[in-house]
Amino acid sequence: MEHKEFKVKWGMVIDIDKCTGCGACMVACQAENNIAPMQDGSDKTMTLTWMLVYELSNGKPFPDHEIAYLPRPCMQCGKPSCSTVCPVVATTKDEEGGIVSQIYPRCIGCRYCMAACPYHARYFNWYDPKWPKGLDKTLNISASPRPRGVVEKCTFCHHRFMEAKEKARYEGKDPLKLPEDAYIPACAEICPTGAIVFGDLNNPEHKVAKLAKSKYAFRLLERLGTDPQVYYYSKREWVRRLADNYLSTEKTKGE
Amino acid sequence: MIDKEWLPEGVQRCSFGKFMIWLAIWGAILLWGVYGMYLVLSKGLVTTNLNNYFGFGLWITFDLAVIALGAGAFFSGFLKYIVGIKELENIINLAVIVGFICYVGAMLVLVLDIGQPLRAWFGYWHPNVHSMLTEVIFCITCYCTVLLIEYIPIILENRKLSQNLFIRKLAHNFHIFMPLFAGVGTFLSCFHQGSLGGMYGVLFGRPFAYREGFFIWPWTFFLFVVSAIASGPAFTMLIATLMEKISGRKLVSYDVKMLMGKIAGSLLCFYIFFKILDTWYWATVTLPKMGLTFDQVFNNNAGFGKWLLWTEIGLCGVIPAILLIVPKFRRIPVLLYTAAILDCIGIVINRYVFTVQTCAAPVLPFDKWHSYTPNWVEWITSIEIIAFGVIVLSLSYRYLPLFPQERQLNKS
Amino acid sequence: MGLDRRGFITFLVGGAVGTLCTPIPWKTLDDVSIWSQNWPWIPKLQYGKRSQVASVCKLCPAGCGLSIHKVGKRPVVAQGNSTHPLSEGGVCPLGSCSVRLLYRPARVKGPLKNNNGKFEPISWDEARRILSEKLSSGKAACISGDENGSASEVLAGFLSLLGSEDFYFMPSDAQVSAYTWSQMGGKGQIGFDLENSDYVLSLGADILSSWGTVVRNQKAFATRKGKYIYAGPVQTGTAAAVDEWVPVYPGQEGVLALGIAYYLLKMGKGATIDGFSEVKNFVLSKYTPAVVEAKTGVKINKIKQLAQELVAAGSPCVIIGSDFGQGSGSFDWTSGILLNLLLGNVNKRGGMVLLPEVKVVESAPSRASLSKNVLGEFLKNVVSGNKKIDVLMVYDANPIYALPQALQVQEAFSKIPFKVGFSTFLDETAVMCDLILPAPHFLERYDDAYTPFGSGKVIYSVAAPVIKPVVNAKSTPDFILEVAKSLKKDLGYKSFEDVLKAKASAVGADFEDLLSGRTKVSNKWVGQNQLRLSVEILANGLVPDTEGTFLAPVARNYLGNTTQALTPTEVVVVRDSELKGRDLYVQVNRTTAKKLGLKQGDKVKLQGAGREFVGRVNITETVMDDTIAVPLGFGHEAWDEYVRGKGDNVFKVLSVVTEKGSGFQVWNKSQVKVVRA
Repeated sequence: MEHKEFKVKWGMVIDIDKCTGCGACMVACQAENNIAPMQDGSDKTMTLTWMLVYELSNGKPFPDHEIAYLPRPCMQCGKPSCSTVCPVVATTKDEEGGIVSQIYPRCIGCRYCMAACPYHARYFNWYDPKWPKGLDKTLNISASPRPRGVVEKCTFCHHRFMEAKEKARYEGKDPLKLPEDAYIPACAEICPTGAIVFGDLNNPEHKVAKLAKSKYAFRLLERLGTDPQVYYYSKREWVRRLADNYLSTEKTKGE
Repeated sequence: MIDKEWLPEGVQRCSFGKFMIWLAIWGAILLWGVYGMYLVLSKGLVTTNLNNYFGFGLWITFDLAVIALGAGAFFSGFLKYIVGIKELENIINLAVIVGFICYVGAMLVLVLDIGQPLRAWFGYWHPNVHSMLTEVIFCITCYCTVLLIEYIPIILENRKLSQNLFIRKLAHNFHIFMPLFAGVGTFLSCFHQGSLGGMYGVLFGRPFAYREGFFIWPWTFFLFVVSAIASGPAFTMLIATLMEKISGRKLVSYDVKMLMGKIAGSLLCFYIFFKILDTWYWATVTLPKMGLTFDQVFNNNAGFGKWLLWTEIGLCGVIPAILLIVPKFRRIPVLLYTAAILDCIGIVINRYVFTVQTCAAPVLPFDKWHSYTPNWVEWITSIEIIAFGVIVLSLSYRYLPLFPQERQLNKS
Repeated sequence: MGLDRRGFITFLVGGAVGTLCTPIPWKTLDDVSIWSQNWPWIPKLQYGKRSQVASVCKLCPAGCGLSIHKVGKRPVVAQGNSTHPLSEGGVCPLGSCSVRLLYRPARVKGPLKNNNGKFEPISWDEARRILSEKLSSGKAACISGDENGSASEVLAGFLSLLGSEDFYFMPSDAQVSAYTWSQMGGKGQIGFDLENSDYVLSLGADILSSWGTVVRNQKAFATRKGKYIYAGPVQTGTAAAVDEWVPVYPGQEGVLALGIAYYLLKMGKGATIDGFSEVKNFVLSKYTPAVVEAKTGVKINKIKQLAQELVAAGSPCVIIGSDFGQGSGSFDWTSGILLNLLLGNVNKRGGMVLLPEVKVVESAPSRASLSKNVLGEFLKNVVSGNKKIDVLMVYDANPIYALPQALQVQEAFSKIPFKVGFSTFLDETAVMCDLILPAPHFLERYDDAYTPFGSGKVIYSVAAPVIKPVVNAKSTPDFILEVAKSLKKDLGYKSFEDVLKAKASAVGADFEDLLSGRTKVSNKWVGQNQLRLSVEILANGLVPDTEGTFLAPVARNYLGNTTQALTPTEVVVVRDSELKGRDLYVQVNRTTAKKLGLKQGDKVKLQGAGREFVGRVNITETVMDDTIAVPLGFGHEAWDEYVRGKGDNVFKVLSVVTEKGSGFQVWNKSQVKVVRA
């Protein structure tokens, strides 16, 4: 399998210990990326949520029970399981920054990428998007609306990356050396507790580069070899253990 | 009978009226299926029970199953034209038509299954050469054309049509090139049976399906090829038998059926041996490497218990393999047919679990098992393909000389 | 040369083959990707110049500063204003929906008059004429859901010019705390200086999920100096993130406060308040650790540990509040305030602080005196006939939906001959009104928020309209000023904008600065005179529990709130453990389920206050023993297809008790009978 290395690698470190599960990231994402509202949203097998907050449980009975919330964007895997299987090159990882793209007009809607992604980060437009009258006036002009029948997913608000690069070029700066916070996805920007930190994992000046190296940092399903660009952080061992499949004899990462 | 001069020479067929009633029944089912297709194409896939977890469901299972079972066509062709097993000419026509039906059906269902049918041909326009599915798209469409080319000369052999000199000559020329098409067909079909298996084996994000392999091909690539040719001939033979039961006439000699059974049986032995090895390695090496145990990838409550595996490998694998490979058993019609049926069921289960259980098994430790039941739209569009098959086969049987042995066998 | 048949066919075939050699068919085919992407029903993006303007969220009382992204004249996305002290760039999910709410299908499109059950459009002039006429001859009352905006001041001022004192806020912790504090002889609005605290103990108040200045609470938590402890019956978003969750039976947080106070008193802590020795003896004799453990479910050791940690902290802060933001009583607040007094952190950095009030409409009563008006009491009096009201005005509130004893509320409504709903959306209350006079969405109007409840600082924010009203709506305070004028009553202002300007200068801020998003912040605290405390209030915690399972309503901003129903965009945030189709889940843990004989997915009825609530059982260990947790925000009958008919309304089964010593109505300690449906 091809595996490209990038000079800039956009990534997130999500501090699970700070997440209150408020759902602001999910709502901000829906608005930023022009996702049409749905009538039944609790049936997660039919919804379209590029960002989804999972509730984790330590599995113990009350009063030893603990919960945590885990926001799940697209992992922007270093070795994506999705882009390699797409029959029509509708999703690629070939741009500096390491964001896995999704080309809606080319997607034939075969859903093979969905079967391939272990994170359920990919969504299919089961419905034709239904915009209540007038709501189309609030569409973000940076994100094109999609018809039914194509697959879509979180792109780290790629349009904001384009805009940040353009701005840097205009100001005569290096678009590949964006300063911290010059480019930041909607979910990270809105998070009330600042649980989502975003930046260039390859740039030692960015916070994420440091946080990702912490002993409490981990990624989801690391042992499958997808090499995600989204890191999580928790001091709670049970949370870290829930991030990957472990045999009962194995030690949790970071212990 | 008004269509008398269109019937093959020297054979008996039911009355035209009876035939029409038969066609009408299947035609009605076909129309119902067409309505299902209309719903899907006009209202989208929301009319099905497919969802975020089960992007693949009955349709893909159905596709994979009919493609595997339709493998009788290419493999019989290969044995007859390339290897030179002469006896197979007695059933090759049927094998080709069954194959044709299976592939056309699969393509129809695929067009329904994708979200943007208008872009179905993008596989050629923007191909991703790294994707197993691209290979599948290439091979299925090409092989479908090959099957059509193989089917045409059979049609041209119709009594009335062949009275035309041009058609007769055309048919003759087709026959001359048939070994070439058989060869091309074998290559294409072999490859995409493999690619279909490869499609699942490469899913390194899905521990239930993922398999290590040889070079770029996961073991499922080879297992799917072998399992297809281990069930295809058995399926063709079963269809012939079924046609005999329905028409009440002898069409293929039991020797030919036994030969088909023997071919299937030998391959099934070969297949099941490697399938067991593969499962063993997957359960003891591949899964633990991903942090999972064999127990964790099955779940009775969701409808994906281990019984599926035991049925697939044991009841529908080892047992038919023994029944088909031992001549003593093979000679007993009941055992031959039972074994063939089990063989086919086993392969269908295999395609089902790779398609559906792969999606149902949670990979994220905090996710849960999901269940899936196809809805009527998925069923009727699948049944529609069967109805389409019955109609094509009925017409072919009535008007084309499919079975060279028919006249001989029904002499008395 | 004539074209014969052969020539024609040659031409056709030749033409067809020839075309294949041109790019036309191939380009057309490739264009499939474009037009299959752009069906007529897929909306087109409407491009324009981008800009950002400041605004203030009025969807809940938290008063977050927003930054609205615009394209041309249209707002498109709402984000946090990073310079605003209450949002610092963050927004809750509700605020994040605000732009899309402009086009919520349930919006009232223009003034409507109820003609025997049918709403007919009328003009604003006619509306003013009708209302003026009704007000000139009858007695008026008003219910407002706007806790911190000057619109309420205009309404209250107008009412008192009409000679009525019947101005009521929707019940909230803000009101109960203000009342309690004034009864204790305190001055100013209670606030909590979380930013500077090194030990925050929240008793009941779900500070990181829904309570008070929720976004600012989360921001303070993210940069915390020390521990955060949450005591409540359910593992809410607050419990998930804080350092420790202390499970307490619903509504018993006040008792826990006194349990902690017991240890503080034992340690010799004191406070200079009238009647202190009496209070001290009362707490030491009545709220012994064993009693408190039995009432709250908190182990004696844990109570002691909390007391020790509070004492050890440099600047501890104890927040008290209802688990779901309303229904608490004077008892809860008195206990919490007492704890802060014993810790000596009142008007100290990082402690409980008292913030000044500002009022610019002269005729309006003070906030402290308005907090004495209890809405429940009023409705009871209307029903009993003790109070005769001719005209009721409801602003930014949905009392028919969001009050316990809904039957009584409905009856009170039916006894009032003329009701006016100043509502942005067609909610349960609006459809009961005789006139619906749509208030603009907050992005379409001038509005303000003065020191939202819970804030540790004086914060004044003002916002100008971002867009012209997309429906025929009119600013309610402006309309009230017009009505006042036609009735020859002078509120002292020509327009609501003038009211805001006056307020800006009263707090010492520049109006234009405020509009551009530069908020006025002040750290001024109100000095206090001698405080007093009576043990009568403290005795309320000793009332024995009734029969049944404890009911713990849970408020989460992604489920909407008491004024805004679940928004279309938030629908996908609702979890599959909260709602299934149209069935709402009630949450119980395994032990409780076993005790009640319930299984996962069972349909159950919760019976309380003479009514029933229907739901399905979800077994989860996030709820403490003997408690059943139910989300607020469902069971809407009006609004639009995004909420209507989903789940049931838990307000129906909340039982109301009148508190001794304060006369307050309390409903944060409800118990229900659980039966299988």
